[in-house]
Amino acid sequence: VYQVFETVAKKYDVMNDSMTLGIHRVWKDILMHKMNPCPGTLLLDVAGGTGDIAFRFINYVRSVRQRQLQRKLKHHQNLSWQEIFESYQKDKFNSLGDSQVVVCDINREMLRVGKQKAQHLGYSEGLSWVLGNAEELPFDDDKFDVYTIAFGIRNVTRIDLALQEAYRVLKPGGRFLCLEFSHVSNPLLSRLYDLYSFQVIPVLGEVIAGDWRSYQYLVESIRQFPPQEELKAMIEDAGFFKVDYENLNFGIVAIHSGFKL
Amino acid sequence: RCQHCPPLRALQASAALRRASDEHKKEPLTSSSQQHFDSRPAGHQPEQEPQGPHPSYTGQGGQESEDYESEEQLQHRILTAALEFVPEHGWTAEAIAEGAKTLGLSVAAAGMFHSDGSELILHFVSECNTKLSKLLEKEQKLVQLGKAEKKPIDEFLRDAVEARLRMLIPYIEKWPQALSVLLLPRNIPSSLHLLTSMIDDIWHYAGDQSTDFNWYTRRAVLTGIYNTTELVMMQDSSPGFEDTWRFLENRVADAMTMSSAASQVQSTGEAVVQGLMGAAVTVSN
Repeated sequence: VYQVFETVAKKYDVMNDSMTLGIHRVWKDILMHKMNPCPGTLLLDVAGGTGDIAFRFINYVRSVRQRQLQRKLKHHQNLSWQEIFESYQKDKFNSLGDSQVVVCDINREMLRVGKQKAQHLGYSEGLSWVLGNAEELPFDDDKFDVYTIAFGIRNVTRIDLALQEAYRVLKPGGRFLCLEFSHVSNPLLSRLYDLYSFQVIPVLGEVIAGDWRSYQYLVESIRQFPPQEELKAMIEDAGFFKVDYENLNFGIVAIHSGFKL
Repeated sequence: RCQHCPPLRALQASAALRRASDEHKKEPLTSSSQQHFDSRPAGHQPEQEPQGPHPSYTGQGGQESEDYESEEQLQHRILTAALEFVPEHGWTAEAIAEGAKTLGLSVAAAGMFHSDGSELILHFVSECNTKLSKLLEKEQKLVQLGKAEKKPIDEFLRDAVEARLRMLIPYIEKWPQALSVLLLPRNIPSSLHLLTSMIDDIWHYAGDQSTDFNWYTRRAVLTGIYNTTELVMMQDSSPGFEDTWRFLENRVADAMTMSSAASQVQSTGEAVVQGLMGAAVTVSN
């Protein structure tokens, strides 16, 4: 798994766009809307390598924070100009409202690409990059508000360990969110999807990234991955409550959600 | 697996508080819970496996004590805690997040609910209806014990509606927002159910025992009075909402005179209908 991602790291984003015809952005946006984080949330993004989820989180929290500040200013209608200026000053240094995201990945290359992207796109505050294994996270218990793993859990050898670690590092009331390829139940769509996966994707892999085998591995690992209900049962086994999943695009991708209660 | 012990103990800790609020579960009006929760039998403290996807290997042992709190109860507690933050944040997921924080939970727990705050509003309405029922029951007991006079119908209705509307006063600024959310197609079944059961309750305590068509007209009339008074209250800026109460008084008085004139209207109505039928027959010929 490590080597697959080492070779793939630089072209990861480009491949994602071409494989999913850009829809992966929509999927990640939907994940963020489902999370609906408020300022002050501490997010752990595991296997988040190039930082897609992390950047979306920062954007989302920033806009929520903006709205909050606007509402507060509206309430301050009767204050003097001096007071308004002071309160604005205080809040200016808190555009994220103390929200933070920690991006954790097992692969140094992916993290490097992510850091470069962050610099390039201008994300400076609220981000941390940590090297770590999802089956054995280098964090204390009860730390994070939300744990996400987007398109990463199928690469974990022992999914149950990863789920247990997720449970451990989440605060009580914390949320587990998993975005992953899943099973299509519609038979017609399933055939089209298979056709596309096995014929088109490895070819794209060769053409764009010069790597047929990694993408062959990718497609096969998607087929091997447990279906929605099974993953839901595994998440419940790890101790999460209110476990539910939402199919996107008829099951090509599914978002599983659980709470540590 | 000891990983489960800390959160379960946290849930167990306030069992005593929850037993006190147990009687509120006896109310059939707990329709703030979603469809996929089984309705719990009244007054039943969970001694066997509580509903919810509990992992099988915690079946035996300490977690099975009767203090175990279900997800539904926890959600109730979060929503109740969230009400305190509504005047500041409105009926939103933010208020729910703040409520969860006061209970020692992560703000992400607000993700259990819809992002538009529907559950919070429905929970609030349900709680208000419960309070109203208890109030009316207490008054009825006083009358039965002879400690109070039985009120005439119009005064009874007026007082009941006023008592219920007064519960909105702390949240009055954000209530229009709540009303619009209650009218969303998704929420209409629940909000309608809550409204009709409240109206039912009021008529029940008013001593209505009709089993004929009057049942419907009475409920329709009172629903109309309640809704219009609520809307008037939204934009009433008089001290102590006296304009609203005066409006209420007038509407209830109207309803009283209307019922006595109802039979007159009915016969007039029949006459009108016959006239129209005759006209239609004439025209078709």
